[in-house]
Amino acid sequence: MSHLGERVSALVDGELNHHERDRALAHLTSCAPCRAEVDAVRALKSRLRSLDGPAMPTDLTMSLLRMSEPGGPLPPRERPFPAPRTFAGAPIPSMHSVAPPDNRPRGRAGGRPRRARRAGYVAVGVASAAVAIGTLFVVGGTDPNPRVVPPVDMFANQHRNTAPYGGSATPTFSPTP
Amino acid sequence: MIRLPVSLFLAVVMLLGLVTGGPAHAARSSQAVPPDDVESEDTGLDLLREAAIAGRSRGYSGTRYVTVWGTSGSTSAVQEVRNAPGVGLTVRAEPSGHTQNADPGTLAGGLSSPSGTMLEVLARNYRVVEAGEGRACGRAARLVNVLRADGTLAARYWIDRAAGPVLRRELLDTRGRIVHTAAFVDLTVQPPAPARGTAPAAATAGMATGGLDLGQIPRLRADGWRFPLALPGGLELFSAHRAPAGHVYLGYSDGLSVVSVFIQHGALDEERLRDWHAERRNGHTIWIRDPVGQETIWASGGHVYTVFADAPADMADAAVAALPHEPVPDLWARLGRGASRVLSWVNPFE
Repeated sequence: MSHLGERVSALVDGELNHHERDRALAHLTSCAPCRAEVDAVRALKSRLRSLDGPAMPTDLTMSLLRMSEPGGPLPPRERPFPAPRTFAGAPIPSMHSVAPPDNRPRGRAGGRPRRARRAGYVAVGVASAAVAIGTLFVVGGTDPNPRVVPPVDMFANQHRNTAPYGGSATPTFSPTP
Repeated sequence: MIRLPVSLFLAVVMLLGLVTGGPAHAARSSQAVPPDDVESEDTGLDLLREAAIAGRSRGYSGTRYVTVWGTSGSTSAVQEVRNAPGVGLTVRAEPSGHTQNADPGTLAGGLSSPSGTMLEVLARNYRVVEAGEGRACGRAARLVNVLRADGTLAARYWIDRAAGPVLRRELLDTRGRIVHTAAFVDLTVQPPAPARGTAPAAATAGMATGGLDLGQIPRLRADGWRFPLALPGGLELFSAHRAPAGHVYLGYSDGLSVVSVFIQHGALDEERLRDWHAERRNGHTIWIRDPVGQETIWASGGHVYTVFADAPADMADAAVAALPHEPVPDLWARLGRGASRVLSWVNPFE
């Protein structure tokens, strides 16, 4: 039997079948070079298993945690097509989309810029309402009824010179004093 | 045998007496009290009617003062009064000297000769009774009391005993206070003119029959004018018509007091109301001029109401309160008017 060659790694990993493993072990009893190579591969694998896993970068961890907060910013999406498909204003995820649409509920997250934007909305609303009320006030104008002052002297004269239950005769009034 | 016919005769007589006695007694009772006197309690109405006739047909002259008391003061006036049969009544105010011819059935004439219809209304709302005799301005007088349904005194009349006019007239409010007095302080009555024809005909000629002036009510209603046919205190509508100047005149009276209501279409220009002061009543602004509160103005529902009253203060206030008092259009009304105009601009169907 020739040297083991590439079958050394399979033997160390236990990937040879029963017949091949017997033949390989029989060869090792009489071949020192192959026996030394098998020992070297086993030592290497043992050392690799004893090593720790790679550490996660801190900024990547913080970015992932920020993504879990409601209303947080999303990383820019890679869109394979220039015009994404939408339905009723909401983007439709396609099979080529890199990230799902942001349908998370809006929360309280937000600092000074969000508060300022809200104040801006209120200011615009108040100004719009003031303009509308002012327009209606001006357009409404004054009371359409004519402004009158009762001719009280004439009324008093008629009051004093009308005979109660005097019939339908038109009373004659004297000149206003 | 003799006793039987005698006892039988007595029994027959008693039986006949029982059968015929009831109706006979009833007949005697009805003859004792005439039905007219029982039903009519207005024993003073004829005196007022005679005084009304005398106020027009007799010649007289004198000085009369008029005083009206209100809630916050009183007003007085002195008048020189002269009536000449066939010529009319002349009233000269002192000290202004303003002279006018007045009908004695009007307030300017002192309501000394009300029409027959007004006396009927008086008798319908009050009880008019004789109250004995007295004196006024040095002349013998017969007194007539006008009583409310509860028996309180509403008015007193002193009528000249020598077939003359009313010498003194007083109105009282429900609390018994005198609120209006018109009285002669001196009076000269001319001898009665020789009667032409029969006496009843002469009396009828001096009496103003009067009547109602309500023929325009359907047309006023159709034009949108709204007003009550009666006001509190028994004030009944006796006249309603639209004047050539555009306003509506309404006259109310209960036979004693008179309330005139004038309605104009428009909004009250309060800035031009001089010599009037505002007063709040039940959340509404009312303008009052005289110290006795008998002249009031207010606006309601696109109309301006002016009320002149010759009545006790409580009656005048109740009449004013019973008329419309809608709130004055405010900011919301103006905004609503503006919105309707804007909508009319963008409405293609208008």
